[in-house]
Amino acid sequence: MKETSGKEEGEHPPAVMGKLNRSAILVIVGIILLFSIAVMAVLVAPGFADSTWTTPSSSYQVQMYEIADPQTYMSSVSRETDKLQYVHHLKQDVTLLGFKESKDLQIIAGAELEKYITRDGDPELKLTSRLLMLRDPEGSLRAEAERLQKKWQQEKQEREARASKEEKLKPIQHQVLELYDPGVQEAFSIDLLGGIFQDWVDKEFKILDGSLPQRYPLEGGFVYVLNPREFRITLTREGDEECWRYDAGGRPVKDLAELKSPLLGFHSRQELISLGEEIYAIEGCWYCHTDQTRTLIGDVVLNGTDVYPAPPSSANEFIYQKVTFPGTRRIGPDLSREGVNRPSREWHQAHFWSPKTAVVGSIMPAFQHFFDQDPRRKGKPSMGIPNIRFEAIYQYMMTKGTRITPPTQAWWLGQDSIKTKERIEGQRLGLRRGS
Amino acid sequence: MVTYDDRAAQLFIYPALLFMITGMFVGVFISFNAFIFPDYFSGEYLHFGRVRPVHVSSVTLLWLLSVNVGLMMYFIPRLCGVSLWSPSLAFCAGGFWWFSLIVGSHSFPWGTNWGWEYAELPMWISRIPIKGLFALSWILIIFNFFMTIAHRRFEKLYVSLWYSMGTFIWTTFTIFVGNFALNWLPEGMSRVNASWFYIHNLVGLVYTPMGLATAYYFLPKLANTPIYSHRLSMIGFWSIAFIYAWIGTHHQIHGPLSQWLQTTSIVFSIWLFIPVWTVVYNLFATLQKDWTKYLESAPIRFLMMGNVFYLITCIQGPLMALRNVNEITSKTDWVIGHSHIALYGTFTFFAIAGVYQAVPVMVKKPLWSNKLADWHFALNLWGSLLFLFSLWIGGFLQGLAWANWAEGASYAEFKENLIRIPFLQTLADMRDWWIVRGIGGVVILFGNILFVINIWNTVFLQPAAKRIV
Repeated sequence: MKETSGKEEGEHPPAVMGKLNRSAILVIVGIILLFSIAVMAVLVAPGFADSTWTTPSSSYQVQMYEIADPQTYMSSVSRETDKLQYVHHLKQDVTLLGFKESKDLQIIAGAELEKYITRDGDPELKLTSRLLMLRDPEGSLRAEAERLQKKWQQEKQEREARASKEEKLKPIQHQVLELYDPGVQEAFSIDLLGGIFQDWVDKEFKILDGSLPQRYPLEGGFVYVLNPREFRITLTREGDEECWRYDAGGRPVKDLAELKSPLLGFHSRQELISLGEEIYAIEGCWYCHTDQTRTLIGDVVLNGTDVYPAPPSSANEFIYQKVTFPGTRRIGPDLSREGVNRPSREWHQAHFWSPKTAVVGSIMPAFQHFFDQDPRRKGKPSMGIPNIRFEAIYQYMMTKGTRITPPTQAWWLGQDSIKTKERIEGQRLGLRRGS
Repeated sequence: MVTYDDRAAQLFIYPALLFMITGMFVGVFISFNAFIFPDYFSGEYLHFGRVRPVHVSSVTLLWLLSVNVGLMMYFIPRLCGVSLWSPSLAFCAGGFWWFSLIVGSHSFPWGTNWGWEYAELPMWISRIPIKGLFALSWILIIFNFFMTIAHRRFEKLYVSLWYSMGTFIWTTFTIFVGNFALNWLPEGMSRVNASWFYIHNLVGLVYTPMGLATAYYFLPKLANTPIYSHRLSMIGFWSIAFIYAWIGTHHQIHGPLSQWLQTTSIVFSIWLFIPVWTVVYNLFATLQKDWTKYLESAPIRFLMMGNVFYLITCIQGPLMALRNVNEITSKTDWVIGHSHIALYGTFTFFAIAGVYQAVPVMVKKPLWSNKLADWHFALNLWGSLLFLFSLWIGGFLQGLAWANWAEGASYAEFKENLIRIPFLQTLADMRDWWIVRGIGGVVILFGNILFVINIWNTVFLQPAAKRIV
């Protein structure tokens, strides 16, 4: 053994460096030199060399994360149901609004606000950052509304007289609403549909009142809130518990603090997505699910829709995540296109509650701690009421694959800029000819 | 004659043995509760996603890293001819070490996972800076080692010391990148890239040099013969220093990372054959003069079998980095098999051999039972083979099934394949292999319980009168 040779007896010298001979210095310097070259090349350089690592994939992605998520709030309608109430936080000079008529909606306004209305058949959608809202007509406009309503009824009867039987059966709700200026700096509007996408316009639009609010990117289209109506509530009591419900005749929510108070219990989609990312980490979802559609046919087919393959994941899809979970193992399927392939909240509810019964053959654990027990039910509940952990993980998952491009240019509509389908079909043909 | 103060080494080795058992027990538990009887014991604190990091953290940090540090505290002073520079500094480091790692590694069921692979330890638990304490104790340990080496009596540095010094520098930087610097990088791929750098270097620049330092020290000791070639060991060392840091990205082949970076990592992965084969040949050639020693000594068998597994690991590794092989093996259980052959088959086998040699010397008593050590080796070998081959074969077949989705000329045909063999079917086909894996795990666990009993009895039951020769 080497240690027995080259033995050198002697006192320990006081200076440490004096004892470090050439070979020891060579080892240390060599290690540091080789290592730092590698670090520069593989850790530092790529971020500068490849701009897709830091540039957003689209203007829609930026606006969803930076504008729409912080201004969209949601909460359970009540403790008993799993329905959600969606609310937009509107701010003067910050939120883009659009007021658009349709077959079943007519908008009336005083002369001053007339210019903000996009009539049925107008070539451009008019957007404004002035805080305006719709309401049931009041004052002098009420008579006007009644006249319009009557006129519409008449026209409808005339149309029905001409039309076939099938068309007559379709009941159409017709509304006439007044565009008004609430004269406040911020307000809350109700979103009856809610969901994982946002109203988006990228052509044939016009922004009124001068310049664009600061936080918006300058080009590529805009997310906006369509036809906002004020979110009003009434407080009630059930037993000794205070509750709230949406009520068009109720009072407006005072401010953000009240909206986020424990009683109303609203959370912004931004908060939920961020919490969802944390839950995804601590529950260890990423040990079984990858979050990347690789550049392999198997992957784009597995994640694709019936008609169109999913485009492979690109670096810029991940730039709004504090932690990214590309994953090493697929014990469960990949989730990178989950928001497109499984958008249903009901499906995820049933699946998280009991994956084995929701999907035969699944080995995923049950996540019943994402649910609270239904207070009304006695005994063992069939399924709990989703709690904030469910909402968070659901919102987080719904960002997967849905925000790469605007919904108008989405891959699931076949508008795939990198031509995944052509490529994978061509690749196979090429291989066949080659072999 | 120098008397070596081995209390610090014991402080790291003995608890590590305990956590080897607990960590492997958790591993066996999840192999049954997540795969054979999925979610049989269910609930927030018991499901696979929350228990898996306890297994990984226990066997990688509480067992393997700790026992390797302990073994270095044993052989570094002996290679330097001086006692450890400061035992009290080592006790202090040991205190931080065990406190942060024990608390951190067992906190995952309560939702403390940091979210980055192999860096799951939480930054904070309440007011306790887990990662910070762990990093601090590491700094104290390597400072102690550097001072020991600086005060050494033997002028020449044996190759184990080279590897150890490499470990000190690499590990420090690697831990820093993967656990702290990650948060300062831009979100997205920059962090992912740094994370893979960390993950791969944890194996390549932490466990590998530590394990090789151990093997290079203990094989000549156990076999009582000098190492075959110092020059070969130097080539191995410098090629590791040159190559390893480049290849982290090969975990992301076909992924969203830049293609040129993937290609770079593939090229360097292939070069890995150089350091590996020099080490493997050097260790084999050392024993070549007298193979009967293989039959006589269980620790030598562990070292040699670890060497065989190291060869297999490092044939698999570069091949898995090739794009076409990666297409089949990546994201399947093959990967789990590969990570176990590296950290279990190779480096745990090396560490076990080290413990078998070091503990009798430290307590100055012979091993309690050589027969039990023979059983330990046999059970470990057969358990490992069951474990590894089931994962490799099962994983490879699953990878082939996934590749089958790409058969055909049009997207419609691809989709048809997917409907014919859906994802869940490829999962159902894995069950038999998972059962074999679970059995292999039980055999390994049982063997290691015998090991711990043997060491316990050596330390506590063996009469001190029976002096070691």
